[in-house]
Amino acid sequence: MEKSIETIWKEGFLKNDALVAPKLNDLYNQKSIHIIDKFKRMFKINLNALVVFSFVVLVVAFFVKIPVLGVLMFILFNTIVIVNKKLLKGLNNIDKNVNSYLYLKSFDNWMKEQISINMKMSRYIYPYIFLAIISGFWFSSDFQETLNRIFGNYQAYMVYGIPVFWVLGILFIVILLAIFGGRIYKWDLNIVYGRILKKLDETLADMVELRASN
Amino acid sequence: MSSDFYTSSILPYSGIIIKICRAYTDTQEDFEDYYQEVCLQIWRSKDRFRGDSKWSTWIYRLSLNICLTLIKKKKKKRQHHASNHELTAEATEDNHAFSDESLNLLYDAIRKLTEVDRAVILLYLEEKPNKEIAKIIGTTPNNIGVRVNRIKERLKKLLDGKIN
Repeated sequence: MEKSIETIWKEGFLKNDALVAPKLNDLYNQKSIHIIDKFKRMFKINLNALVVFSFVVLVVAFFVKIPVLGVLMFILFNTIVIVNKKLLKGLNNIDKNVNSYLYLKSFDNWMKEQISINMKMSRYIYPYIFLAIISGFWFSSDFQETLNRIFGNYQAYMVYGIPVFWVLGILFIVILLAIFGGRIYKWDLNIVYGRILKKLDETLADMVELRASN
Repeated sequence: MSSDFYTSSILPYSGIIIKICRAYTDTQEDFEDYYQEVCLQIWRSKDRFRGDSKWSTWIYRLSLNICLTLIKKKKKKRQHHASNHELTAEATEDNHAFSDESLNLLYDAIRKLTEVDRAVILLYLEEKPNKEIAKIIGTTPNNIGVRVNRIKERLKKLLDGKIN
């Protein structure tokens, strides 16, 4: 070798084409596809997990003799899965032949719609879960026996055969769950999808700034 | 990323980024991805630049760190798809070239070095003083001096007979 590496380096970069910067264009496309694919994967896994969980709850509930609870939870979980599978179809229909900004924007809109529907459902879901638990134990003869053992001769205050204070207490909790159902859902959503939703917001903000500066 | 920021603060230093990205990539496609990722990260991290070093030094440091991170990610991926990737890398190596043949050979040799040695020799070839290289790499200037000599010997062996 005759030339030193220093000379090769200097002379090589004197040529005009050596330092042509590539255009900044495809990175956002890759990022947006990556974000949406990742979300789809997580969403599908969670729905499948919910189906499996509903069967587990059903079997366990029969096993511990609170079948009413098991059946009610099974119905609930599978309803949630059916509704969200329908929503997922909407996500698959998003047009991929648009630029990455529009693609991400469509995904963001889908996400907002999905969150809004689930938030509305949550106002009924959490009270339903609570009532399912109460009903499950109420109709369980084993549980009634346990209650009798603990409380002995306790007699609830009855009006027209209805245990008023118990009913009022349950009603109070149901109302609270109906009011805060949406917030509980959002809290739950942040635990599962928080990171990916933050990434989506950041990328969209970047792209909005990029579009504004052009 | 705002185009003003790109034009005023990144483009004048794009040479640095190009030289570094070329050393850590085998294909034109990877090079363009790395370049874009580095630009994006510089823009995202610009508020963290405190001015205690030159802007160019900061760009060097950031570009190196990003390339090292990307290459690690790529290696992990490669472990998952080992056989497929080897074929792709071999098939596309020729796409990644400068018009200067000697420079291509030098880059091929540089790519055969370890990741840290690549960083050291790039900074050395950019005529950065040992003290600055040591600061960027995180070692002592003496260590850099010894290391540069060793890397140059290795490169000479790798290029021996290939360049007139």
